[in-house]
Amino acid sequence: MRIQRLRTRIIVFFVALLALVQLAAFALVNAANSRNAHQKIEEELSVGERVFQRLLSQNAQNLTEDARLLASDFAFREAAATQDGATITSALANHGARIGAGAMLFVGLDGRVIADTLAPQRVPRQFEYPRLLQQVPGSGSAAHVDIELLSGKTFQLGAVPVMAPLAIGWVVVGLPVDDAFARDLRQLTSLDVSFLQNSGAGGGGWRSLATTVGADSEADLVRYLPPTAVVTSFVSRTATLAGVDHQIRVVALNSGPDLRVVAVLHRSLAEALSVFARLRNTLSVLAFTSLGLSILGSVVIALNITRPLSKIAGAAARIEQGDYSHPVEISRADEIGVLASSLNHMRQGIAERERKILTLAYQDPLTGLANRSRFSEDLEAAISGARAQAQAGVSILLMDLDRFKYVNDTLGHSVGDHVLEQVARRIEQVASAASCIARLGGDEFAVLLTGLTPECVEETARAIIAALESPILYQEQPLDVGTSIGIAHFPEHGHDAQTLVRNADIAMYAAKRNKSGCQSYDPHYDTHQQEHLSLLGELRQAVEANELRLYYQPKVSLHSANVNSVEALLRWHHPKRGIVSPALFIPFAEHTGYIKVLTQWVLAEAIRQCGEWCRAGLRLQISVNISARDLMNRELPDQIAAMLEHHAVPAVLLCLEITESGFMEDPAHAQKVLDRLAALGLRLAIDDYGTGYSSLSYIMKLPVQELKIDRSFISRMIGNADSSTIVRSTIELGHSLGMKVVAEGVEDLEGWNLLRHFGCDDAQGYYMSPPLPAADLLAWMHAHDAPGAPRAASGTETAHAPPPVFAQRL
Amino acid sequence: MPGVLCGLGSVAATAVGVILAVATGMASAADLEVTVHDLSDEPLEDAVVYAEPVGASLAPSREVAHVKIDQVNKEFVPLVTVVRTHTEINFPNSDDFRHSIYSFSQPKIFTTKLYSGKQAPPVLFDKPGLVVLGCNIHDMMAAWVVVVDTPYFTKTAAGGKGLLKGLEPGDYRVSVWYPGPQFTPGTSQVRVAADGNSHFAVAVDSSASPLPALRARAAAGTGKARH
Repeated sequence: MRIQRLRTRIIVFFVALLALVQLAAFALVNAANSRNAHQKIEEELSVGERVFQRLLSQNAQNLTEDARLLASDFAFREAAATQDGATITSALANHGARIGAGAMLFVGLDGRVIADTLAPQRVPRQFEYPRLLQQVPGSGSAAHVDIELLSGKTFQLGAVPVMAPLAIGWVVVGLPVDDAFARDLRQLTSLDVSFLQNSGAGGGGWRSLATTVGADSEADLVRYLPPTAVVTSFVSRTATLAGVDHQIRVVALNSGPDLRVVAVLHRSLAEALSVFARLRNTLSVLAFTSLGLSILGSVVIALNITRPLSKIAGAAARIEQGDYSHPVEISRADEIGVLASSLNHMRQGIAERERKILTLAYQDPLTGLANRSRFSEDLEAAISGARAQAQAGVSILLMDLDRFKYVNDTLGHSVGDHVLEQVARRIEQVASAASCIARLGGDEFAVLLTGLTPECVEETARAIIAALESPILYQEQPLDVGTSIGIAHFPEHGHDAQTLVRNADIAMYAAKRNKSGCQSYDPHYDTHQQEHLSLLGELRQAVEANELRLYYQPKVSLHSANVNSVEALLRWHHPKRGIVSPALFIPFAEHTGYIKVLTQWVLAEAIRQCGEWCRAGLRLQISVNISARDLMNRELPDQIAAMLEHHAVPAVLLCLEITESGFMEDPAHAQKVLDRLAALGLRLAIDDYGTGYSSLSYIMKLPVQELKIDRSFISRMIGNADSSTIVRSTIELGHSLGMKVVAEGVEDLEGWNLLRHFGCDDAQGYYMSPPLPAADLLAWMHAHDAPGAPRAASGTETAHAPPPVFAQRL
Repeated sequence: MPGVLCGLGSVAATAVGVILAVATGMASAADLEVTVHDLSDEPLEDAVVYAEPVGASLAPSREVAHVKIDQVNKEFVPLVTVVRTHTEINFPNSDDFRHSIYSFSQPKIFTTKLYSGKQAPPVLFDKPGLVVLGCNIHDMMAAWVVVVDTPYFTKTAAGGKGLLKGLEPGDYRVSVWYPGPQFTPGTSQVRVAADGNSHFAVAVDSSASPLPALRARAAAGTGKARH
């Protein structure tokens, strides 16, 4: 776990650090201690050696002083000068006893021992150490004291000249070097002393002269002395004597050629170090104690840090899970407290931002209503709720604004936005009991109603419609927008959200078409629902598999009975259904937008056919129906231009028929496209004139050359004065506007005659010919133009040429 | 002054000798000039020179001569004295303080008591040899007295020269000794010619002599000398 590791890490780190420091300190102090101890011993030895040397030299001095005392005694001098051996000896002995000398000699100028108190019988002999006697006669001082052997015993020897008045000989005094001497030295220096001698090459090693320690220690000592006789004083070293560690220091005392005498000073380390051992023990106890305390302290600190940190981490985890409601409960003034309070603020900030995001996600920013996502979610929730409780009562209203497009495009987006906003407010006001009111996008709104009967739902719908009937004010200008509402209920009209919405949509379009305001979904609207779905697929198939055909219906001139143009009509040769009527698939195609593909196909085929006819010598203008949607296609002019060029068809042979209502759907836009099409040289015709919402002023502006009167007027023309009047005035209107007028749906001779009478230019209808495949049309054309073709006798209208007889329609 | 007196004394002796020689109408006596050097050819002052005829004996002296060795400023003056046997030496004390003279030398062992001025009795030196004098109180005082049997003796002067007078022509054993630890004079055979002066030069090892040190000390203490 993270926390454990940090805590452990802190503890381990601190403990390790402190342990290191403690150990280092302990080691340093211990080392210093030990160094001190050894240094102390060393100093003791050094001091001891100096004292020792001083003692020796003082001894020597005393020696020579005593000797000088004797040597200056007149009586002794007399005895010495007179070579009175016995007197000399006794005098020497007497004096020697006084000063504790072990040996006293009188040596003549020639170096002969004249008197010897130690070995009186060994006179005369040559004095063994003549160099002791080297000094200026008459100076009266002894320069040399040495440790030498006399008659087998070791003495500190010093010589003093006897002046009478000039040197007549030397008195040699010897103080014994023995255990007592060594003990005296120890008394003063508190160091153990051992005197050892080495008699040189033939001697056989070191021999003990005097010592303050036991024989076994001395035996060990010998091991530390160089085997050869040559030795100089050296700095101390550690030696183990009789099992005990000592620090020893060797002092060379005698520099004669034959005899080496050394004094070894030594001190037991154990006692010297005992003090320091105590100190070290104290130190280690201290070190362990402080280490223990440090561990404790670091544990406390670690916990002090890591516990709150783990709390904070827990809070962060909660925030991660989306729980913004529990703040971290830490109130400290230090950095951790700051961290905790920052976390709390962050929590609040995150909660706030999340709320805003959710709001944005589910809210339509313009109107403040719910958006599509929200509506879907709410609908699905309502459905699952209703399903869970095995209830009904979930209904949706789907609506859009009838004239919104006009407002938005003509007056601008700010006005459009204002309108939408106002609509939203009005809906809210009226449908306050709704579970969800949403703007789905554009000018589409949806209302979710739960727990209401279908009657109540319809009432609500009507209320909305009523609310939107009064105009919306924008800067005090009234704007009229109406609405159509589609209603769908769960579970009758669908079991899931998607189905409900689609069905409500269908209902809405039905309401729009019927202009009935609101409409509940009826499965009949959708009879061919399944069929429609498959129909779309089949349509696509149709295009690709060449199941579509163009049939051509000739437009016959009423003046000359010639045929100069034909209208291309789409027929579908379905492999299973046979010939499918355009009424069945054209509206559907228009609705789904597939009409564009169909139009493209139709245009391409018509132009191709035209080109073919042209090359065959037949110049026929082909009229192609295009929808309002096609007019919206900005690329249409270019596409048509390309096709014309491709098939080398002059633009004048192509005529585009657009329904009157098709023009009026988006007049501004249509205008632009129409101008471009006109610029290409195409002919343009208004189809189904009289049935749409056009304005004359608008018609005047259009670059159309042809006006086609809707068949409804033509069919009612005979016997209906109004219709007849309309037809006539329409023809005159068209002519005055410079357009050619074509009558659609001419079914009998009477109609033909009347139209001729009215001055209509062309007629199109079953009376002349139904739409025919290209080949059949050609045949018809030949038959129609054949000079011997019988003509039908006309009736009353003899003013005109006799009406032509038309081949029986197929 | 005492030196002058000594000198006068020896001159007088010599003069008597000459007169005697002339009176007896013997053959003319010659002088022997001796020059003493040290080993580095420096002239040695205070070297003792004496000559003994070879083969002839000498008549003993008939009377006792008197010589003086003074003590001035803790020094014996002169430091070196040569006398014939049977000479009495006086030791006047010219210092403010008393001295006690002694000698442990075989030819004459004596000790005076502490005295001042002329209180000390004269001492007769009647055996030939070297006598080293010292003062009991003052360890650094020392003097040499060489007692010889022959009348022909002298002490070299500053130039290292000494004159032996009135020698009959013939062979002589000339001994030269410079103060040192042992009395070991160096002897040489010298022939004295009948006419004119003879010369004799000799070199002596003076390295072990304490005389130069004594003399130096004497020179240093001259400033305090009383007359």
